[in-house]
Amino acid sequence: MSVFYKRFERHSHGEGLKGQSTHYCAGCGHGLAHRDLAEVIESLGIQDRTILVSPVGCSVFAYYYFDVGNTQAAHGRAPAVAIGHKLANPDSIVISYQGDGDLASIGLAETISTAQMGLPLTVIFINNAIYGMTGGQLAPTSLMGQKTSTSPDGRSTFMGQPLRVAELIAQLDGPIYVERVALYDAKQRIKAKKAIEKAVRLQKEGRGYTFIEVLAECPTHLKMSPDQAEKWVKEHMEPIYPLGVKKDLTVEPWWDRKAPSFEADKLLAIMGAANGAPKRYSTGFPTHLGGTDISFKFAGSGGDGAQTAALLLARAAISEGFDATHIPSYGPESRGGTSYADVHIAETEVLNPSAAHPDVLIAFNAPSLAKFAATVKEGGTIIYDSTVITEVKNMPPNRRLVAVPLTGLAMALERPMVKNVVALGALQGSTGVLPVERFLDTLRTVLKDKPQLLPLNETAFAEGVRHATPVPA
Amino acid sequence: MAISASTRPKPYLEAEYCKGCLRCIDACPKDCIAQGTEINPATGVVPVVLDLATCNGCGLCIQACPEPYGLRPENERTVDAAGFELEDPAALFGPRDTTAPVPVDIPDRHLPLPASEPLVLKGTYASALGALLAGCRHVFGYPITPSTEGAELMAKVLPKLDGAFVQAVSEVAAVNMMYGCGGAGLPCMTFTSSPGFSLMLEGVSYMIGAELPGVFVNIMRGGPGLGNIGPEQADIKLACRGLGHGNTQAITFAPSTPQEMLDLTRLSFELSFKYRNPVVLLGDGYLGQMTGVVRLPSTFTKPGLPAWAVWGDRDHRRNLVSSIHLSEPDLEQHNLHLLGKYGAMIRDEQRSDLYRCDDAEILLVACNTPARMAKGAVEDLRRKGIKAGLFRPITLWPFPIDALKAVLPGVSRIVVVEASPGQLEDELRLALDRADVARPPIDHVQRYGGILPQQFEIVDKVLSLCPVQSGEVMA
Ligand code: SF4
Ligand code: SF4
Ligand code: SF4
Repeated sequence: MSVFYKRFERHSHGEGLKGQSTHYCAGCGHGLAHRDLAEVIESLGIQDRTILVSPVGCSVFAYYYFDVGNTQAAHGRAPAVAIGHKLANPDSIVISYQGDGDLASIGLAETISTAQMGLPLTVIFINNAIYGMTGGQLAPTSLMGQKTSTSPDGRSTFMGQPLRVAELIAQLDGPIYVERVALYDAKQRIKAKKAIEKAVRLQKEGRGYTFIEVLAECPTHLKMSPDQAEKWVKEHMEPIYPLGVKKDLTVEPWWDRKAPSFEADKLLAIMGAANGAPKRYSTGFPTHLGGTDISFKFAGSGGDGAQTAALLLARAAISEGFDATHIPSYGPESRGGTSYADVHIAETEVLNPSAAHPDVLIAFNAPSLAKFAATVKEGGTIIYDSTVITEVKNMPPNRRLVAVPLTGLAMALERPMVKNVVALGALQGSTGVLPVERFLDTLRTVLKDKPQLLPLNETAFAEGVRHATPVPA
Repeated sequence: MAISASTRPKPYLEAEYCKGCLRCIDACPKDCIAQGTEINPATGVVPVVLDLATCNGCGLCIQACPEPYGLRPENERTVDAAGFELEDPAALFGPRDTTAPVPVDIPDRHLPLPASEPLVLKGTYASALGALLAGCRHVFGYPITPSTEGAELMAKVLPKLDGAFVQAVSEVAAVNMMYGCGGAGLPCMTFTSSPGFSLMLEGVSYMIGAELPGVFVNIMRGGPGLGNIGPEQADIKLACRGLGHGNTQAITFAPSTPQEMLDLTRLSFELSFKYRNPVVLLGDGYLGQMTGVVRLPSTFTKPGLPAWAVWGDRDHRRNLVSSIHLSEPDLEQHNLHLLGKYGAMIRDEQRSDLYRCDDAEILLVACNTPARMAKGAVEDLRRKGIKAGLFRPITLWPFPIDALKAVLPGVSRIVVVEASPGQLEDELRLALDRADVARPPIDHVQRYGGILPQQFEIVDKVLSLCPVQSGEVMA
């Protein structure tokens, strides 16, 4: 019995009798389940590795008694807490000990999803058909007709029918071993201990998730003597909750997780960080476009690649040592809707990343042009796809209009997808925002894992440059 | 049947630990146990009496006894039953309740990270990388726009680092997985957005009560209810004033660039362990999506293991994670302890960024992305001859009142810019009130419903408050 603390220090500071008595009522089934579990932990030699998750319910204070690693979970959440522990330390043996309100009512989602996840964990489910801690209310496992403080006239179908949890868990794919046991006589108690032993052993062997439902007595709220309660469990509960093995799979040990990696090279590779400084191509910030902070708006619909083009521009500028930002904005439809991108490039720091009044607009379709042309700053540039925008009207004065057949050029390359790269070329050609070599370098960087796409993209970019009207001298 | 009847220990009972449930009576095949007749004066119950003349040591009675120190095998007897006198068990068995050793802290290690090119990252990714650099290898989450990309990145990279990403059944489950993982002493986090954050708050309260670390990145969206997925800042109230039930506070960061998303996520882990308390990082939907330049630090962290962890080994066996303090004086003490920690956070963890505040007469106060619009507005206003400055709280709780106090004397007006109906302003007003400083009039620019205040709105507001004298306009 060494798995019980010698003194229950946490039970009212271990004062007086409480130092060695439980807080449970006389004859409560919890005490028996505790004894079985303690003996199992001892016989399996796992006391040091065990973490017991105490629930909310009468067994909320299970941590008073078990000399193992202890944690106390919020109502119903013990399985989630157990997952956290098992993944933090895969060598730990994690046992979630829960009552019927905790497991089968408020925690049902965690109960089922954890069981289905199938990590090697053990759940001990104490089903005594009533809420204990809160004072005898209806439990999901209360029997039909059972009188409780919230079913004073007996449980009716209006309150739902008794939930058979072991059967529910057994029909999931995750668990490997599910059994329902009872404590009402010596024979059942021997079986119960065996089942608990097997459940914890299977976890110890790394085979999978195990679940034991224990039909237990709550003499207090059944308002019975312990021996009457034993009889009640046998005669009334057992017919509704048949005992026995509900599932028992033979599974080879599989639980074998490595310790997490903390290697600098691996981290950098995962982050996509490259060593060394990027090559610089610019001779200075393109102040000719409107000062030390230039804003761009790319506007199109979902398939136009506006975001990718915007991102490439931001990347290219950052590689030149400038600051840059990109903010995407999508319409409510996730596909085919509007897709706008705001880009800022600043010599030192982008203050405001939104481009309510851009210096340059790149419009992929007529609605985008109509919507944003008027927001472009005076003296700014409007680049638009002249393949799809055939009629240009109501343009604000004092803006430079650059028509490039983005779609047409991409179609000529038999890859309509690359029209955004054509657009970048057109942007370069018509504004000279960054050197050509800069864009090509950035294209090579982003396509380093797909080199077969590089020639096409380079051509698309060159086509855009070629068809753009250069900045007037 | 290796043990014969003659060698099997018979039961013995210390009457004080019998609750008189009588379950052992039925269990005995030899009728050795009977209901007693005398009330035990120490317990007020009638213990059973044993007559072991015919006992064969089968142990069935022991297995029927719900009390750990009720019926026990004779060979475990610790005191002479005949001479048993009720004493404080501490005196009987000594003060040690467990044979487990007293654990010690295993400190974090800070390892060098080779220099690399700056990265170009969106805010959520930057935050995820900040977590990886802080040593986080466990992420628990539930998909919710616009925070999903952080979780998706973690789902992709963590398996390569032998870490774990778990998509929980709900935010409620996710926060409780953090309770478990944080309780085991490891750094862990979640990415969520406003409705999901609401769901997690019960768990946050438990984590604060149980003094567990954990980092919550909340990319705030438009509310209330399902609202929309546009950027908003209307969870400031939740983070600063409403972290679940009870006496709860957590350091709350409000980054405004992808770089800060990385840096402050890293710092969140450090402070979360320093104070054994959750840390909240509030972003807005724009910041989560915003791509910008991000420079990596020169070191990264390999986490150690704190002494208090419930790890699942011999060294940590004596530990308990729990938010329960049943006796009122104990819980009051615990609250005083928490208040002490909050006090230390208020004293040591205020952070802010001051932009052109030295001579500012109009002080804009803003955080997250609206602070960037405000920064643009400061420049705009300065060009118009108005001495504007930006005070940007980086910690919303604790509010950086000390730095604010220092710039207030020259300020004639405060304008709070936010995408919320005054939740940042409330923090500001409360902090000013508590600090008992005279304050200038407070105005605001607010947008709601997924719309951020724009630079020109801020400029217009300030101009309406203090029209530019024509002579002051700079050419
Ligand atoms: S109320 Fe019922 S379940 Fe709770 S301790 Fe008492 S007998 Fe046990
Ligand atoms: S050990 Fe067996 S025979 Fe002896 S008292 Fe207990 S139940 Fe009866
Ligand atoms: S089972 Fe234990 S507590 Fe109950 S009467 Fe027997 S000795 Fe006493």
